[in-house]
Amino acid sequence: MLGRDGIAGLVCLALSLFGLALTRGLPAPSMLPVGPGFYPRIVLTLMAGLSAILVVSDVIAGRRGTRAVVARPAVQPNYRLVAATFAIFAAYVALLPPLGFRIATFLFVAVLQVVLEPPRGSRRWALVLAVALATTWLTYLAFERYLSVLLPRGTWTGM
Amino acid sequence: MEVLYEHLFASILGILHLKYLVPLLLGTIAGVIGGALPGITITMTIIMVLPFTFGLDPLQGLAAMTGVYVGGSAGGSITASLIGIPGTPSAVATTFDGFPMTRKGEPGRAVWVGVWAAFLGGALGGLFLIAATGPLASIALKFGPWEYFSLFVFALSMVAGLVGTSLTKGLLSGAIGLVITVIGADPILGVPRLTMGSDFLQGGFPFLPVLIGIFAFAQLMSDIEKLRAGRSGGAGGPPPSLKVSQLKVLWEILSRPFLLLWSTWIGILIGVLPAIGGSAANVMAYDQAKKFSRRPEKFGTGIPEGIIASESSNNANVAGSLVTIMAFGIPGDAVTAVMLGAMTIHGIQPGPLFISQHPAIAYGIYAAYLVALPLMVLTIAAGARAWMRVISVPKSILVPVVLVLCVIGAFALNNIMDDVYVLLIFGVVGYAMVKIGIPLAPLILGLILGDQIEVNLIRAIANDPNPWLFITHPISGGLLGASVLSVILALWQHRRAKRRGAIAEEEDIDF
Repeated sequence: MLGRDGIAGLVCLALSLFGLALTRGLPAPSMLPVGPGFYPRIVLTLMAGLSAILVVSDVIAGRRGTRAVVARPAVQPNYRLVAATFAIFAAYVALLPPLGFRIATFLFVAVLQVVLEPPRGSRRWALVLAVALATTWLTYLAFERYLSVLLPRGTWTGM
Repeated sequence: MEVLYEHLFASILGILHLKYLVPLLLGTIAGVIGGALPGITITMTIIMVLPFTFGLDPLQGLAAMTGVYVGGSAGGSITASLIGIPGTPSAVATTFDGFPMTRKGEPGRAVWVGVWAAFLGGALGGLFLIAATGPLASIALKFGPWEYFSLFVFALSMVAGLVGTSLTKGLLSGAIGLVITVIGADPILGVPRLTMGSDFLQGGFPFLPVLIGIFAFAQLMSDIEKLRAGRSGGAGGPPPSLKVSQLKVLWEILSRPFLLLWSTWIGILIGVLPAIGGSAANVMAYDQAKKFSRRPEKFGTGIPEGIIASESSNNANVAGSLVTIMAFGIPGDAVTAVMLGAMTIHGIQPGPLFISQHPAIAYGIYAAYLVALPLMVLTIAAGARAWMRVISVPKSILVPVVLVLCVIGAFALNNIMDDVYVLLIFGVVGYAMVKIGIPLAPLILGLILGDQIEVNLIRAIANDPNPWLFITHPISGGLLGASVLSVILALWQHRRAKRRGAIAEEEDIDF
């Protein structure tokens, strides 16, 4: 039975072997003594070797019963909140091109605040909207207007 | 030598005129703010300041840029210490001890040890380099691809000292960093590698979005885990104070003269050599500090040594980069590359003749650098209340705002959404690595050095395929030997720490 390190090693081993397989399609050297696959093969072999060592060490530690026990945190981590944050950020990134920076950023900042700390009372709701508006307006003003950084334009909204 | 210091003294008096002092101060303020904001790098800040300098005379413009460089290098450490996200890549190692120190309830000490270490490292670096530009440059000029390859391998061998509890996982992390750099077009012929025909992967993964993604998400998501689960880092309770006894902090640094001088020396050396930059200097200095320490196991727990090493080398690195660009016309990093462009716009060609042809500007830059250091300290002292607000803001507000800045930082590099997608991908990767227990710092070092290792390896082989040249070239051989020693030393330290851990465990059982 593999532990956390063993599984991580196995994933890395699979990825490095897949990468090594991909280098087989690279062209042979023409002008130089070594081709474009020379260096990737070295680093992928290194990664595969280290991944294999990690898997083997984990198996041996499992058999000997010396596998490092991951200490249980004092407070149970809130993984649902982490998953929700990743999902909202992914939605923000996906909506940036169609909605544009200003609308997408306003929605993102407002929604993420609500998810991270649900507002109780009208004052808190007002703060959520104020922070979303201020973040959007100030970043837009600073970067687009004064610092000449062109922020994403919305293909649906035109702004 | 006497003439040199006379020129320097006259230039310092010159730079104190309002005509130069105002752009220098504004540049320093912009640098501190840009450096402190996660996702906004010094490079980005200096690019933003560049258009404002076109209307100024050359020295005014270069003074402003020097201010950005110095201010940004120290500013990056503020967020690294207060919220655990390096404001710039050159403050990565500052997070290792700065943030744990803040978590232990000493944010003021964490910030000010960093600021004063940056000041002292920068001042020592500046003074030393003004005197020793010629000899150092002549060493760097002797470097060929063999030496550069070995130097980068030496830098990479430092990952062995940054591995935490598992040497294998640390080395694997470094290898993953190297593998990321081979995805995309090969640097010599432009042949796409490991792209599986995808246009998105064609250009490879740009360094900054990867760095921002890995560090920002690893940190922010770890904080979010604790929200609504009993610990809500942020608004609860009175905001911690940044007030500390400045004399006590200064003594903390000055009572470790070897650490300060050695870290400064590493920063200078890395700065003088092109293409490595502050992002590697701070990690290397941190690694060296850990190796020479009598209590290496304490590193990463919030001790001043880690912050002193990282910040002094980081700012000494700025001095090294400035000398390289002035003496050879070679930009030491992306920031000095922008400065090179600004000089060219003003009709100044940096290179071996620069100091003799434009002494007023050359010494003016040195003077601006030295004056920018106290200005940086004053700027940070004046803005201390603002920095406190950064960590007093509730996480539910801070997280969305930081993520928006990260998106802007990634997007503004090339004005393409692909870089934002890279940010998201490596955000997931960074968080996954934290949860698996794979350290992030070796990956970043692999990522910084991977391209340069490959380019110099291929150049060396193209010059002469004889592999023994890497060893028979004295500098190259010496650096490779140092790499082996570095790994052996790390292994020894690792075993010693494990043995001590085992003894401690036994003692716990006995008592």
